[in-house]
Amino acid sequence: MAQPNGTAEAPIEVSSLPTVVGINFGNSYASIAVLTKEGSADCIANEDGERQIACAISFHGEELYIGNQAKHQLVKNSQNTITGFRNLLGKKFSEIPANTLSVSAPVIQHPEVADEPAYKVKVLQASPSPLPRTATNTPAASAAVTPRSEPVQVERVLTVSEVTTIFLQSLIKSAEDFLGKKVQGAVISVPSWFEPVQKDALEKAASDAGITVLQLLEEAGAAAVTTTSGPQPEGLSADRTQLLVDLGASALSLSLLSIRHGLVHSLATLSDHSVGGDALDDKLIKHFAKEFTKKTKVPLTVCPATDTQDKRAEAKLRLALEHTKRTISASPGAATCSVESLKDGIDFTGTITRLRFDMEVRAIYDRVYEKVKELVSAAGLDLYDVDEIVYVGGSASLPGLDETLSQGFPETIVTPFTQGTVVGGGIGDPTTILSRGCALQARILAQLAEGTEEEREVKASFTHGHQYTQAKVTSKTVGFLFPEENAESALGGQWIPAVIKETPVPARRIIAFDVDLGEGEGEKRVGFEVWEAHEGVKIEKVKLPKLEDEEPVEGEEEEEEEEEEVKEKTVEKENLLASLSFVAKQATKKKGARWTTRLEVTTIVDENGALEISAAEIGASGKGEKTTVTVAAA
Amino acid sequence: MASVVQLPIVPPPLPAGWTPPQGSGKSTAPLVERKLLPVGEAYLAHVRRAVHKLTFEEHDKHTEEERKRLEALNGAGASVEDDLGVGDEEETEDLLLLDAKEWKKQDHYAVLGLSHLRYRATEEQIKIAHRKKVLKHHPDKKAGQVGDSNDDAFFKCIQKAFEVLTNPERRRQFDSVDPYYDMLEGDVPTASQVQKAKNPEKYFFEAFGPVFEREARFSKKQPVPGLGSYNDSKENVEAFYDFWYNFDSWRSFEYLDKEVNEGSDNRDDKRYTEKKNKSERARRKKEDTARLRGIVDTALASDPRIKRIKQEEKEAREAKKKNKGGVNGAGANSKQKEEEEKRKAEEDAKKKEEEEKIARAEAKKAKAAAANAAKKARRQQRAAETGEVA
Repeated sequence: MAQPNGTAEAPIEVSSLPTVVGINFGNSYASIAVLTKEGSADCIANEDGERQIACAISFHGEELYIGNQAKHQLVKNSQNTITGFRNLLGKKFSEIPANTLSVSAPVIQHPEVADEPAYKVKVLQASPSPLPRTATNTPAASAAVTPRSEPVQVERVLTVSEVTTIFLQSLIKSAEDFLGKKVQGAVISVPSWFEPVQKDALEKAASDAGITVLQLLEEAGAAAVTTTSGPQPEGLSADRTQLLVDLGASALSLSLLSIRHGLVHSLATLSDHSVGGDALDDKLIKHFAKEFTKKTKVPLTVCPATDTQDKRAEAKLRLALEHTKRTISASPGAATCSVESLKDGIDFTGTITRLRFDMEVRAIYDRVYEKVKELVSAAGLDLYDVDEIVYVGGSASLPGLDETLSQGFPETIVTPFTQGTVVGGGIGDPTTILSRGCALQARILAQLAEGTEEEREVKASFTHGHQYTQAKVTSKTVGFLFPEENAESALGGQWIPAVIKETPVPARRIIAFDVDLGEGEGEKRVGFEVWEAHEGVKIEKVKLPKLEDEEPVEGEEEEEEEEEEVKEKTVEKENLLASLSFVAKQATKKKGARWTTRLEVTTIVDENGALEISAAEIGASGKGEKTTVTVAAA
Repeated sequence: MASVVQLPIVPPPLPAGWTPPQGSGKSTAPLVERKLLPVGEAYLAHVRRAVHKLTFEEHDKHTEEERKRLEALNGAGASVEDDLGVGDEEETEDLLLLDAKEWKKQDHYAVLGLSHLRYRATEEQIKIAHRKKVLKHHPDKKAGQVGDSNDDAFFKCIQKAFEVLTNPERRRQFDSVDPYYDMLEGDVPTASQVQKAKNPEKYFFEAFGPVFEREARFSKKQPVPGLGSYNDSKENVEAFYDFWYNFDSWRSFEYLDKEVNEGSDNRDDKRYTEKKNKSERARRKKEDTARLRGIVDTALASDPRIKRIKQEEKEAREAKKKNKGGVNGAGANSKQKEEEEKRKAEEDAKKKEEEEKIARAEAKKAKAAAANAAKKARRQQRAAETGEVA
């Protein structure tokens, strides 16, 4: 039938998302995120249903295992299993510290390339195909020995770059299977301490894997993208100081970021390779090994294990602990750890409560807390200057860590735990935050045009260390002071900060608020002073009131009264810059209330630091007249 | 967009004696160098402002334009699920009272809320419309509501409508006898209406335009030439009438068949109904062809363009004649003249043909009439004869 019913106009084309992905490539685990229809990013699971994909590849006979399957090979096939290769990217063999304890295939010197780290694995080479036949259908005469018809064991030498390529290829394959489309580009995360050589090595490995790298994004940046896009969490302003705690499997890295309306710069960074999820594991393995010995009287020495049997037992425990840790993070109850045939064919099942768990790993929590304090003081700030904590990495999902850290911060601190966004793949989920950030960044980059010279320049500005990343920031907070009669505070009025310190210039801040104009009729004036202020934290020692029921023990000296530090944020006026005053024309009065008017104040700081402040009333009839003052730059 | 921070703070009124202090003349504190992380939309905006040397206001304008452009590209917000323009039609009271047993009489498009699309609805649109209606009228949704909870009559109607419209064959049958267009079909302008109209030229196009548009949907050949406008060229007008006189329609009338009584064991009964249905279909099809022909005839008869073209041709001829009388106009115009003559001959032939056709038809009629008359006469004669005998 020829077109019996006619056709409606073609439907409107729905926006097609660029098929770009974000890859968080850690030393121990990787994750992939794609963009959703709603415009957010979502971490996807690979074919094994894993969102946290272990960075491991393992050769077993003719098979090649990648990801979490490869991790299981660490028990029996550890010499053919390669882990922890990311940190070796771009390094020379001589730079790698020798005799580090390794549970997987050791790093060796490449037999042909000088000073190149490599891995040697034993694989089975597939049986060779039969010899070509001649026209008379008999084997061609050959001096070579007749090849064997079964797979032959050969040794294969892989460079770090090759291993990375194999691994990245499998990640991209997973993403393509999920999307059903070819991946056009990817943003890959790199740690902040990666040197240009290492970045180049990673980029090369990625392009060998057939990935178009849109950007190598610093981990801190990826986390910042995730936290700054999407709806703003309650209790946070667009200008805030963020502490990033990245507790991965192999290292701890901390960054103090200043986020000013989405513009991010780092105030201080710190990384420590001695603490991490593996250190946590060590503590727990010791705990469980002790329990095992107590229960079964079978001696088990772990961390470090010397005997092959013990080594295997340790590897088994390490695999089982993954599950235990996840249970501890997710539920307040007890978590089990069970291993079949841990040693000498004896099974082991042990439980651990959250309290016990936190006790075991207290030392690590405390160390993280120490490092946080070190970082904040290195930036010349106080813990009370931090507005938000963001956790990254699997081990950071542990609630005990958050409890330990929060004690030093003000009660208003926003963490993923106070927001309740850790579980259920929420915005603050520490395990997926980096990959999601990378995906969001990839979308921004994929949408950039490249038509004109200027557009190309914009695109180039995303490369590492580009001139546009150099920015000037303000060093003092600028705010408005509304004078008040008989003011209680030392400032003498109501203080409204407009452009807080560490704001990159040029900057603009628009704030709107109601102004009280009193009760009286007649002409009403609005006026305020513009000050540069010094913000600080006042520390007071307050003596704790003694508990009444605590009776002093006789014969003991008068106990020294306990003191507690009480911190308070303070603002001090430093520098009067200008003042503004005009007559309010659009004041309104609600029944039984006072006269008020709504004010919109725009503050613009230009690239030299000069200020321009303009205030206007917003009434029912739209924006009123603007009153502007300017302050010259230094 | 410029983001405005809304603060809940309400500053107190000014003290009575406050005068704005003079600025101290001091400048702002010196700036410090920092290294930004190249991430996020805000950094992109920051770089764009720097590269294109824009002020904040200019950049706001740019982003606003960009947003509008993207919105226009993606339709009204990609976040809302695209319903392909199905929309939500409220059911009328009558529609809700429909009986599913009488499904042949219902307007399937109205039931699915597609009465604004009708035959233009795509399969996708029908699916979307069906889902929308089912979500609203599924018996599960009505459970617990006041009234008869067993009332799923309209839901059955919806299912029936969906069944008919998703089957291309059955849909074509229904489209052929779509009740909505049936109503309109009776309302075709006549020649006298065109003549009587204040502005016949304008009226012709206003009245016949929608008629032809409506009929076009039955054409097997697509696209169908439209009625056009007054100033169309002769070729276009001719092509138009040519197409419509050779109209190839897919319209069929199976939908109006009388139901064959399946339960009946009587084979003859069934065959009889089938035969009757077949002849009925043929009759209707013939009627429909005649109806369309009638419309085209009326249109041709009252088409102001034909008049205009004739007038133009006449003028051209006269002009030519005048030219012929002139000294050297003949040579220049000979080619044109030839062409015109040729065309004229063709037209004459066509006219003649048409006239002949009519004449033939008339002759046929006359012949038939004559035969009838002869028959009558014979009968009368016979009657007279028998009368005489009696």
